[in-house]
Formats: sequence, C-alpha cells, structure tokens
Amino acid sequence: MKWILFFGALIGLSVCGREKFFGDQVFRINVRNGDEISKLSQLVNSDNLKLNVWKSPSTFSRPVDVLVPSVSLQPVKSFLKSQGLEYSVTIKDLQALLDNEDEEMQHNEGQERSSNNFNYGAYHSLEAIYREMDSIAGDFPELATRVKIGHSFENRPMYVLKFSTAEGRQRRPAVWLNAGIHSREWISQATAIWTARKIASDYGKDPAITTILEKMDIFLLPVANPDGYVYTQTQNRLWRKTRSVNPGSPCIGADPNRNWNASFAGEGASDNPCSEIYHGPHANSEVEVKSVVDFIQEHGNFKCFIDLHSYSQLLMYPYGYTVKKAPDADELAELLRPAHLTLKGTGVQSGSSVDWAYDHDIKYAFTFELRDTGHYGFLLPANQIIPTAEETWLGLKTIMEHVRDNLY
Amino acid sequence: MPPRRQPPPASGPWGPRPAVLLLAPLLLLTQQGVAAAPVGAEGPEDSPGLQDAEFPSGLLQQAARAALHFFNFRAGSPSALRVLAAVLEGRATVNPKKGCQVDLVFTTDHYNPEVGEEHLGKCSARVFFRNQKPRPAINVTCTRLIEKNKRQEEDYLLYKHMKQLKTPLDVTSIPDSHGHIDPSLRPIWDLAFLGSSYVMWEKTTQFLHYYMAQISSVNQWKTNDDTIDFDYTVLLHEFSTQEIIPCRIHLGWYPGKPLKVKYHCQELQTPEEASGTEEGSAVAPTELNNF
Repeated sequence: MKWILFFGALIGLSVCGREKFFGDQVFRINVRNGDEISKLSQLVNSDNLKLNVWKSPSTFSRPVDVLVPSVSLQPVKSFLKSQGLEYSVTIKDLQALLDNEDEEMQHNEGQERSSNNFNYGAYHSLEAIYREMDSIAGDFPELATRVKIGHSFENRPMYVLKFSTAEGRQRRPAVWLNAGIHSREWISQATAIWTARKIASDYGKDPAITTILEKMDIFLLPVANPDGYVYTQTQNRLWRKTRSVNPGSPCIGADPNRNWNASFAGEGASDNPCSEIYHGPHANSEVEVKSVVDFIQEHGNFKCFIDLHSYSQLLMYPYGYTVKKAPDADELAELLRPAHLTLKGTGVQSGSSVDWAYDHDIKYAFTFELRDTGHYGFLLPANQIIPTAEETWLGLKTIMEHVRDNLY
Repeated sequence: MPPRRQPPPASGPWGPRPAVLLLAPLLLLTQQGVAAAPVGAEGPEDSPGLQDAEFPSGLLQQAARAALHFFNFRAGSPSALRVLAAVLEGRATVNPKKGCQVDLVFTTDHYNPEVGEEHLGKCSARVFFRNQKPRPAINVTCTRLIEKNKRQEEDYLLYKHMKQLKTPLDVTSIPDSHGHIDPSLRPIWDLAFLGSSYVMWEKTTQFLHYYMAQISSVNQWKTNDDTIDFDYTVLLHEFSTQEIIPCRIHLGWYPGKPLKVKYHCQELQTPEEASGTEEGSAVAPTELNNF
C-alpha cells in the first residue's frame, strides 16, 4: 500500500545540533486498518502540533512511533482518545533518555566493559562467561536470573539467563537464544554474552526490546556445549562436538547439532563416531541436548528458537517454513540487510536444533551463521566481536519484534 | 549453432602451460548445443546466493571457488590473491556418465581485507567436475586489475620482507586461537594461502569445498638461495563434512616464477578403513605435484 508515503518513511531519530527535548514523549500508536491510518495521517500532518514520525510500518499489523513535543501532549492525547486510536507511551522524557545515553557513551568509550571489567571485545574462558552471567543477573535483579538447566557430559553446569518482566508464575510466550553448540564457533558464545548484557541494559530504554519483554520472556544459553568449549581453550581450538565417550570407539563426542529428534540419522549426518557430524547413538543421547529439550518441553510455551553458529553470514530458515506462517521472505531479507546476513532456506537438516524446534510448534525457528565468509572462519579476530554482535542484534530484534506482533 | 568443443584445461595431467593472465574480454557464453538440462540465471544477479533447484545447492558457488583457487595458484602472486565476491550468472550442463560442466561469470574481491572494499575484478570460467572425482578441470580468465608491474613490485616487496624474517621463525600457529596474526607474519599467511590454493583446487569436487582455517605449524622456512622454501602444515576446513584436514605443504616461491608445490593431506582415519595406509604426520610427501 502506498499510504506509507503519507509518513514520508522517516525512520530513526532525527536529532541534530542543539535541539532539546525536555518533556517530549514518544507515543506508540496502533493502526489496525486504512481508516485509522488516515485519521493518524490527519494528526501527523497538522502543522501546529509539530509531530515527528519515527517509525512507519510497512504492513498494517505494526504500530507507528511518533515523537510528540511536550506542548502538544494534551491535544494529541485528546485526539487519539476521541478517534478511538490505541496508544502507549514508550518514552516518557526524551531529553532524559538522551542525557543518560551521552553519559553512558562517554563512560564506555572504546572497549565496552561491565562494572567488573568484563571486556566484551575479547574471548573468555567458560568460568569468566559464567561469572559475567551471574554479574548481569546481579546488576538487573528484577529482569534477569541465571538458571541452571542441567549439566554437561563432564558434569559442568549448563546455565541460561532468563529475562522476564512477568509477575509471579506466569508462563509467558518465550524466545530461546542458543549459542556455542559447536564449540569452535567462538563468535557465537561471544555474541551471546554481549547480547545478554545488551538485553538487560536496553530494557526500559529501547522501545523495541522493552515492548518485546513486556509480552515475552527471553532465555539465553550462551554456551550450549561447555565441555567442547573448554576443550577448544585447552587442547584443540578446532574441536566441534561434545566430549562424550563412544563405547567401542577411540573417537570422542557427537555433533550436538545432529543429535536432535528431527529426521534423526538422515542425510547430512554420519553414523561414524570419528566423524565431525556423528549424530550419536540415538536422538538426545547427548546430555547437553537433552537438557535443552527437556526444559523447552516442560515450559511448553516457546514461540521462537534461534541458534547462533559461525561462519558464512547466513540466516537460515528450516524446511517446511512457509510464507503463510512467516514474514514474507523479501520483506524479511530487506529487514535483515543491516545485519549483513543473507536469507537462505535449507532442506531438511537431519537432527538439527531448528528442525526440532519447528516440528514442536516453535514456528519462528532460525539458524544464524555469523561472521565471516571464510577468510578467518572460526578464528575470527577478537576485534570483530563487537561489530558482529551489534549487527546480529539488529537481526535478532527484527525477528523478535515480528514474533511479538504475531503471537499465536 | 554447432556445439563448442571444450577447450583443453590450462593445467593438470595434460601438461604444464605457462601461467598466462589474459586481458581478455569476458567470454560471451553462447547457447550450449549439448543436450541435458541447462540451468540458471538469465542475466546478471546481484545476490550471491543463486539457488538452482535441479542441482546440488550452490553448484555455481562451488565452481566459482574452484576456479578462484586455480586462478590464484596459477597467478602465483601472494600480493594479488582474490576471493569470490558474487556469482553474476552461470549455466550448468550435465553429462550423467562423465560429469558436470559449469560456465559462469563472477566478481572478485581482494583477499587481504585491509586493502579497500572495491570489487577487484570480473572473471569468467568453465569448470568441469568429473563425477565424484576431485581436481576439476578449469579454464578461467579474469580482468586484470593490478597493473602487471605494480603487482610484481608488490610481490618483490613481500619477498624482501620475508627474506628479512628471523629464522627459525618463532611462531607456532597462525593465526593464534583468538584470530590474531602479527602484521609481520601476514606475508607468511598469504604465501601459505597461495600454496593451499593449489591443494584446495585439487581436492574440490562438486560436493566438497575448502577454506584454510589455520597454519598449525611452520616446519621449515629457508631462504638460502633466491627461492623461499616454505614447509608448513595447514588445517583445511572441509564443507560439508565439517572435517578439519591437516595438510603438509612444501612450496618454493620466487616472485614472477610459477609456484612449486608438494603436499600430503591426512585423510580421515575411520575404524572401517583399517591400518592399510599408515602415515605418520612427519613423513615426506608422497605425491609429487607440478615440479
């Protein structure tokens, strides 16, 4: 629809120079049909109110963000009420937000660090990652908790960070972010821990993540294969699998992303324990996989499952993912451009986590293959961690926003 | 139009030919008279992921990679290495008994990420994958981007730099676990990649392709006479088996001269393939290639 032209497609904050925004607010207005849109365009186009559209959607189902100067708050609220337009206030004082950001940016100049000096632009040991998860939970006690969901073959804990604004024992629809299932893909674990800090820090400030967390919980597992990760740090940087013992074979480990119960032991997996894509003796034989499966099934209300891997810079959706249930492929590809990911459909991926998720009614199931495209491959230089995490975050938000707006 | 005879490949068991970089116009691909399913993109595409429903996914990418490995090897220039940017168009012809021929046009970037973002060039190639067998036959021409003299100058600078390195080299893996390559060792990585290109070309099939993951050891680095004599072990990452293949490579390089390469790769030892081919990792290469 060409009504998008009414709004001139202004996206993002147009803040330049000395302008101040004391008391200015950002309204998120729901528009459900053409009638509501023309009412809204009436409002926006009226000169004296000086409204500024931040985000105009490209489909009906998405709301519009509008910056309302403090002087116009009353008339705008009256208008919206009289026209029956639903809205919420996502930013209560823009200037306060900007001042806060300035402060933060000065503080974080160069390397991003947390209060106890965890350097997000470097690769860390398992212990350091676990400590930082604990630290995030400590810094944001009302939002984040570190939860043990099981243990690895060598008996290391498996920790997830749960982000939730739900009251009591409410079981909200949830998102699962999986990382580090293949231990050598270090950018995956590194991106995950950065993302954890990002989610916590941006809640209450960024409208997107704030509204996402108002409707859904996020569970983040930064190291889905702790034994493998430790092994890559101590013995073999290019280790991929788990470290389980295979009876009768000198070879160790199974490929945890061939071990899920979806087309198990099919094409693309191997029955040879020495192979990098050995599927294991049976589905869920790997305790690391079983821990996640059990948790998700017991919870029963997951809507989205994202698995972070490297490398290739692709965003893959599983076999059977149709346009009816998904955002239109072209639109999604366009939205993912800032994330530097190419959209790609895959065939059946035997024993993979996303195929399993999709089969279990978790309709928004994707695999992200992060940087790069083969130059450094698994050995991605640490100075690319933060840029990778930042661009990946754009992709994650895009998907989570879509899930938020299309809960089922 | 009568079917075109397939031109002889530029190298391989049919005998060596001098490395030639042609300032060739792009091959205009004509309709193949050969039967069987021609495929693929009519006209230029700008997305790298040309999907082709009838063939293994990414066949065009596969062909482009093989062509580039071969091109890089034949160019013999560590300062002018190229990587694939995007496949523009391609056609594949299948002969079920013999194999699969792919004609394609693709763009390239400079291998070294520090050197600007501009696309370095355009190549056209004919790649013939023999059924299930590695070492595809390749004919490839690329537009020349770096002027020949400039390239030779860069190579010679690299060569001088390498000659000045202290031997024995005080280094184990390149890059280290955190992806770091000391700037002074960057030329070694580039030279190793050049040698690995030969290996990766020879190992590529319709279904398998490779990236160089890491130099796991430098066994010898000699510059006694003029040639740089480099003996190293590289880890190749194999798609889509995900295997890491250690290859011992021994190369001789002098700017402007064809690269000489000998290599031996350890194949995956499986319990089924028992003890027959017992090789130690320090054994001298058993394959004599292109000397």
